[in-house]
Amino acid sequence: MGDDKVFEIGKHRAVLPGGLLYAPANHLWCAPAGHAGAWRFGFTSYALALMKDIYFLDWSLSAGMRVAQLGQIGHIETSKAESDLYSPMDGVVERFNDRALADPAIVNADGYGDGWLYEIAGDAEPARFVGAAAYLEHLHANWENTQRMIKGGMNRIVDEPSGDEEA
Amino acid sequence: MSRNRVTVVISQAQGKNPVRRGLEESLAAALLMEPGVELSIVPHLYDLEPGHTGRLFLESVAGDMIVIGWFYPRAGFWLLDRMGVKGREGSSPMHPVAEDDGESDEGDEKPEKMSPIGATGTIPDRQITLLDLRAKPGHEAYVEEVRRIIGEARARQEAARASRPAALVELGLPKPAPVPDPSALAAPPAARRWYPVIDYSRCTNCMQCLDFCLFGVYGVDGGERILVESQDNCKKGCPACSRVCPEQAIMFPEYKTPAIAGAPVGAVSGLKIDLSKLFGGGDPMATAARERDRELEKDGRQAVGPTVGMAPRRATRATTPPDELDGLVDALDKLDI
Repeated sequence: MGDDKVFEIGKHRAVLPGGLLYAPANHLWCAPAGHAGAWRFGFTSYALALMKDIYFLDWSLSAGMRVAQLGQIGHIETSKAESDLYSPMDGVVERFNDRALADPAIVNADGYGDGWLYEIAGDAEPARFVGAAAYLEHLHANWENTQRMIKGGMNRIVDEPSGDEEA
Repeated sequence: MSRNRVTVVISQAQGKNPVRRGLEESLAAALLMEPGVELSIVPHLYDLEPGHTGRLFLESVAGDMIVIGWFYPRAGFWLLDRMGVKGREGSSPMHPVAEDDGESDEGDEKPEKMSPIGATGTIPDRQITLLDLRAKPGHEAYVEEVRRIIGEARARQEAARASRPAALVELGLPKPAPVPDPSALAAPPAARRWYPVIDYSRCTNCMQCLDFCLFGVYGVDGGERILVESQDNCKKGCPACSRVCPEQAIMFPEYKTPAIAGAPVGAVSGLKIDLSKLFGGGDPMATAARERDRELEKDGRQAVGPTVGMAPRRATRATTPPDELDGLVDALDKLDI
């Protein structure tokens, strides 16, 4: 695995651990979750830096249900943002992190550890997961669009943040 | 004391979720013992078809009313309005709303902002307060809030009484509604329904929903005002028109996403950034077109994509006060990319 990477947002340094994989389209990190084909996901420090303190997490599925890649999996409200959340892969949701659901502060406090979100079991490693260096590149490449989105404020924007929108 | 009772209505959850039923039952038991409360239980407001006993009852209530159910207060209020059950919307500290929705500084920032239609018809001088049963886990908080609202109503009536000649007081009091048979009121409706609910305090009559929906749900009334004309034409689970509405005036109270289900607009979407797109969601307009295509195909019709009935989106509106994005955007600005 590669070195840790850092993406700077003003004074904030969003660390991207080199030992993890990333789903750039969802700003999630992922790591193998115990058995073959299962992955654990959580927000990257970049995602958390944009959202700030999490107030509510709400999952629209239950454990054991199937989810399609980019199918809606839940909703989040934070001090700065609200967002629907979408699955990074096809598969079955094996479990949600009850601790994070009960007290989302853990996600802000320990996003790469105890603040993980859920585990999904699918087929092999989905091809879209990339290492820290490639994720960092993705962040740089899309930073201008992301700023426009944030400054625009509302959810009605015309530009795509990245070129990998599903057909 | 008994003459001046406030009607409290519990609107049941759809389905038979035991947790939800449990809360409804414990709340009902507590409210039955509560002085000054006239309690009734009806099915979910969304499913009450015309002629349902529960709906007839709601229509018959003349005075102040508290409706407690499993929906956002905004959705509940406009559902009642749609049934012709009108009044002033009461507020509750249980459901803080965003501060005034941008009316304070007119002029500069919002060129040509169309004004909302607002509620139409005669609005009776009474207060309807809605409480969302998803807000608190136990029944106690709701009983507490009902007491507070009743106390406030009493104070209001006292003040009115003091300022009016005695002879008129009796006439001014709301007539207590006849107490119907509770089991008949709660009789389950024929089926679950699915249709849009328009928030006329936001709707500007722009007609984009009418152009967009290809299933004939929307129409206009005699005064050229947009309305949900053929609600049963609506496609179950499809919230596409809500995404297309530039004012977020269209609600589907049972949809998962709060912004579509009627969450307070100012408190969530107005002041907060929607990052759905960043986290893998598509453009709402593209999503709406996809959802519409899916329903068209289910009906054996041709998918039309985003070309039909979708006006080019106006430039992003400057609805967010700059200070709301404080630290984050300041940090972004400093980068000056």
